[in-house]
Amino acid sequence: MSSSRILPNAPIGKAAVFPAEGWARWRSLVRFLRRNPALVLGVVLLVLLFLFAVIGAYVTDPKDAQPLAARPLLKPSAAYPFGTDKLGRDLFATIIAGIPLTLRIGLLAGLIGLGTGTVLGFVSAYYGGWVDTIIRGVVDVGLTIPGLMVLIILAISFSGRLNVNNMALIVGLLAWLYPARVIRSQVLTLKQRPYIEVARLTGMSGLEIIFLELMPNLLPYLAASLVGAISSAILASIGLEALGLGPVDSPTLGMTIYWAILNGAVINRWWWWWAPPIVVISILFNGLYLLSMGLDEIANPRARRSL
Amino acid sequence: MIIQRRKLPSRLPMLALLLLLAWVMAACGTPPAPQPAGDAQTAAPAAPAEAAASLKEVPRNRTFKMMRGGVSGQHVDYELWNPYAIGSNHQNGANIMYEPLAFYSAFADKETMWLAESYEYNADATELTIKTRQGIKWSDGQPFSAEDVAFTFESLKELGAKVRWGVDVQQFVDSATAVDEKTVLVKFKVPAPRFFNLVSYKFDIGVYIVPKHIFEGQDWTTFKAFDIAKGWPVTTGPFKVVASSAEQKIYDRRDSWWAADQGLVHMPEMERIVQLPDAQEQQQAQALITNEIDMGFTLDPATFTTIFEQNPKITTHAGRKAPFGYLDWWPVSMYVNTSAPPFDNPDVRWALSLFINRPQVVEVGWSGANTVSRLPMPPYPPLKRYFDASEDLLKQYNTSEFNPDKANALLKKAGFTKNGEGKWMNAKGEPLKLDVFVPAFLNSMGLVVVQQLKEQGIEVNPSDPPDFNDRFTKGDYQAAFYGHGGSVNDPYFTLNLYTSSSKAVPGDHQANFSRWSNAEYDKIVDEVYVTPMNDYPKLEKLFHDAMAIWLPALPDIPLTELYHRIGYNETYWTNWPTAENPYVNGASWHLTFEMVLWNLKAVEK
Amino acid sequence: MRFNYIIRRIGFFLIIIWLAASVNFFLPRLSGQDPIREKLMREAMIGGATQTGMEQIIKTYEVKFGLNRPLYLQYFSYLGDVARGDFNYSIAHYPTRVIDMLRDALPWTVGLLSVSFLISFFVGTFLGALFGWPRTPRYIQWLFGPLLSLNAIPYFLLGLVMLYLFSFAVKWLPSGGGYERGTLPILNLKFLLDLAYHAILPALSILLAQIGGWALGMRAMMVTTQGEDYMIFADAKGLSERTLFLRYAMRNAILPQVTGMALVLGQLISGAVLVEVVFQYPGIGSLLWRAIRETDYFVVQGVVFFSIVTIGLATLLLDLLYPVLDPRISYEK
Repeated sequence: MSSSRILPNAPIGKAAVFPAEGWARWRSLVRFLRRNPALVLGVVLLVLLFLFAVIGAYVTDPKDAQPLAARPLLKPSAAYPFGTDKLGRDLFATIIAGIPLTLRIGLLAGLIGLGTGTVLGFVSAYYGGWVDTIIRGVVDVGLTIPGLMVLIILAISFSGRLNVNNMALIVGLLAWLYPARVIRSQVLTLKQRPYIEVARLTGMSGLEIIFLELMPNLLPYLAASLVGAISSAILASIGLEALGLGPVDSPTLGMTIYWAILNGAVINRWWWWWAPPIVVISILFNGLYLLSMGLDEIANPRARRSL
Repeated sequence: MIIQRRKLPSRLPMLALLLLLAWVMAACGTPPAPQPAGDAQTAAPAAPAEAAASLKEVPRNRTFKMMRGGVSGQHVDYELWNPYAIGSNHQNGANIMYEPLAFYSAFADKETMWLAESYEYNADATELTIKTRQGIKWSDGQPFSAEDVAFTFESLKELGAKVRWGVDVQQFVDSATAVDEKTVLVKFKVPAPRFFNLVSYKFDIGVYIVPKHIFEGQDWTTFKAFDIAKGWPVTTGPFKVVASSAEQKIYDRRDSWWAADQGLVHMPEMERIVQLPDAQEQQQAQALITNEIDMGFTLDPATFTTIFEQNPKITTHAGRKAPFGYLDWWPVSMYVNTSAPPFDNPDVRWALSLFINRPQVVEVGWSGANTVSRLPMPPYPPLKRYFDASEDLLKQYNTSEFNPDKANALLKKAGFTKNGEGKWMNAKGEPLKLDVFVPAFLNSMGLVVVQQLKEQGIEVNPSDPPDFNDRFTKGDYQAAFYGHGGSVNDPYFTLNLYTSSSKAVPGDHQANFSRWSNAEYDKIVDEVYVTPMNDYPKLEKLFHDAMAIWLPALPDIPLTELYHRIGYNETYWTNWPTAENPYVNGASWHLTFEMVLWNLKAVEK
Repeated sequence: MRFNYIIRRIGFFLIIIWLAASVNFFLPRLSGQDPIREKLMREAMIGGATQTGMEQIIKTYEVKFGLNRPLYLQYFSYLGDVARGDFNYSIAHYPTRVIDMLRDALPWTVGLLSVSFLISFFVGTFLGALFGWPRTPRYIQWLFGPLLSLNAIPYFLLGLVMLYLFSFAVKWLPSGGGYERGTLPILNLKFLLDLAYHAILPALSILLAQIGGWALGMRAMMVTTQGEDYMIFADAKGLSERTLFLRYAMRNAILPQVTGMALVLGQLISGAVLVEVVFQYPGIGSLLWRAIRETDYFVVQGVVFFSIVTIGLATLLLDLLYPVLDPRISYEK
């Protein structure tokens, strides 16, 4: 949801960000980090979350994320830092177990989306013609469709056979649209660059040009697209879960929120049931958001000037 | 260039204003669009605002407000006052309008003759003679007579599967005729000693008697029977519909009502009933706390603690304590599809049952506010005798027993072995898997059972498919949590849930969810069917015989009862049906709710 | 060229409609679900009774809804219905028509979304302009971080937190619904105030989450604008700060924001569905939620189709309007 707004609609970045030659690029990136607080802050938030999940995994038993692990509806205490829910799940263990599950949905869907999107974006831009017309058409059409609506229809069709991996697959089905558009427009501009012309004249094959010349230049865009795809995939999965279309048996962050709403946690003031997943999700989204902002700054000189 | 662009900022606010205006206009209820010609059964009803203007003022302490019906906070069936129309549901208001031949309260075990004065079967129950009460008038002044009753039965027989209760009537009724203006003679195709019981109002079962002079010649599946200007719907009940819209249904007390005139009961004390659409748990709880409504529908046990804290006037059937309600007629089981291995083996089903710690299911899954169910029918007073009759069997086959050792032995006997990780494996080395449907409204108890079975080494996979009911009835499932709509006073209806064919009752059959069949059992149930409802010694014996087959087989696994937890608000109305005063069950959606309306007393005189 | 562009855009729009309609039709059917049985069984469950003769009744219904015909025939008659703007009856609430349910629900969603969308657009854009203006006081700049942070949170989670805070912890605002239950929607001041009172929380959850996004985009554009020649010229001319800010910087920076609208609309509706569910707001989001739970195909299809078409139409209009707003745009690609 967030990345689309950061990357302007029009083709991005008319100037090459970095000179083509090798390691100088990375050195400038390290230097650049110091002038890129969004990236740093984003990475810090995500690392903190990661550490929380990893350390948590050492001190909790995943079995405690299941019902009947403790007495129900205990308020947060030393023994149960996040309390317990109505069925006696230890909510600390539930959150710890839920973070990797939710991330897995996001990562899988994001990778599916980025992979498909990159291939299609390349094909579309590099070969042009009717292939380009069709792909661009589908992307233009797809991007205006409210994604959740299509996902709802898909999820219903699965009829309760949803697990975390299927969920990722469904969400991934729409996650390629945005990367495809970004990669296509980037390849289009890069194609015109002199060094690509030179490469072509020296007799490099199409694939060689793609992997040796285009890819390295696209890395920041790919990274930004991946982060964007991950965060919109997580958003979509949480949306589906909150509607009751998620995997019943997996304690993902979205399912924890669904159970809390379904069991009247708000009216009954069991705040410890829904507050931790919301906080964790907020940190996660903020981290991804800042990270994608930071990556955009690297990718897009106009944005860089603005911060 | 800049001049060109100057237009932009001034345009957007205009647009905003327009949209805002559109919102307000739209929210204020566009009048219903004219209906296509083929659909036009009644004249379009008056716009809500118009109708509201003509309503008289009724003080809050003479108004009864409840929540029932609707989709996402709006009524959708507000033009539908023919309870037989497809899509109509008597729970949403028709239940307090159309009256029955008789009411039956399972709590009081009492039949209250109503539009009928008496009824009598012939010796072999192939004929039923119903005497209708004299001096009753429909709300439009036309006299009610035996003709209306005969017309209702005859029409249902003709319509069959097209309308609610059609098949039930069609299966038995050969003809229904009005012998004179107060006598109906119903002739049956097969002996039907439970027919009168079927048609009288109890819980959600009962046949609505409709006025012949209004319903004759109409297509019952689409007829709406609604036109406030003409005084429709026409019924014999004490209330009339004065406004009906997406926001609310309003009923005002009629000036005179036959039952009050004849001294059967007093005129209801409320001058107006306002029926609001359902709201979610939290909104409903708040409406009770703020005295906005006098009655809601069922709430989670935990929510009552919150409500009681904030409003001392809220009570329930059980008072201000657990289980916060009364026993519904719908005990919950874990159904197992017995048509596929390994659950076609009764030993495996019994093992599942013995693995379940039911007190814990009640304690955690229902927050302590429930009881364990031993058989798939509620222990209502009239059914107690049948529980007693099978006590010896229940000792031998204890459906509430928690005994993992015994269960382990049964699974071993069925060819399963526990591997090093404590998981059950079959002879081929595959894990013992159980896919189980957990509908959202049973999620708490369902997930507790799931966890208990997991801890015993079964690989349980819970899910909540959106087409749960579809797959459940088609048999496209392995296990599911669901209840039983069976007996309330006579054992036949619960026994019949497990039959696969019937000679006594030819024709279509109720769904047999667990797909279990036993010819011997079917024969017993057929015999129960032709036994008069009051031949208790014979019924008890037959019930015992049936249970001697059912219990060892255990087609589904009884777990807990279901409670209706309805908040009653005593700020304006008292004399609710409670455990101390159980004249009927309190559900506003059940067919007997009119009885509650007669009994409620206004607090402020 | 310009004409071609318009034709192509309209072509896209039609393709969207056809695709949406087809996906809508085929997906649920391929999964082999039976809405009639689902509906009857659900009714039986609510009523507790399991009616005799279920199979017969199911057949009767299926004929009534045309579900017994071959799939391709159903598809064509479905496309015909869609073309006429007809979405058949609601299965769960027969004989209510889907279009009537949509008509009842739509004004709520359109109202809630358009108002909160426009407010967030204007407030966000204006704040963004302030954030990007070097002479804006420091304390205003501090707002940027929190707003940006809220922007990253899903609307409905924000809604949930606000619901808890404002209607349960302190009981200032209603916990849901579109207006006070039981009042008749008559156009008078009292009702309008009630309407607004109930819309505050749901609108706020959308608003707060969106402002940051608009502010971010606008801020970037403002910074870019400041380097432009006309700004330097205007500054040199000695124009007032106010004129510089409003007439020169903001006016030029706002155009890309309008383009951004098209992309946000789709996300907006996805997010709003859940906000409506949280607040039980009587719009299409709540309708959709109930229809999902009731496996009411025709209603789900109606809602999904309708929102896709609406978004498609809005995008089309924005695309067609944009050149009117900005003459610099050419359509050649």
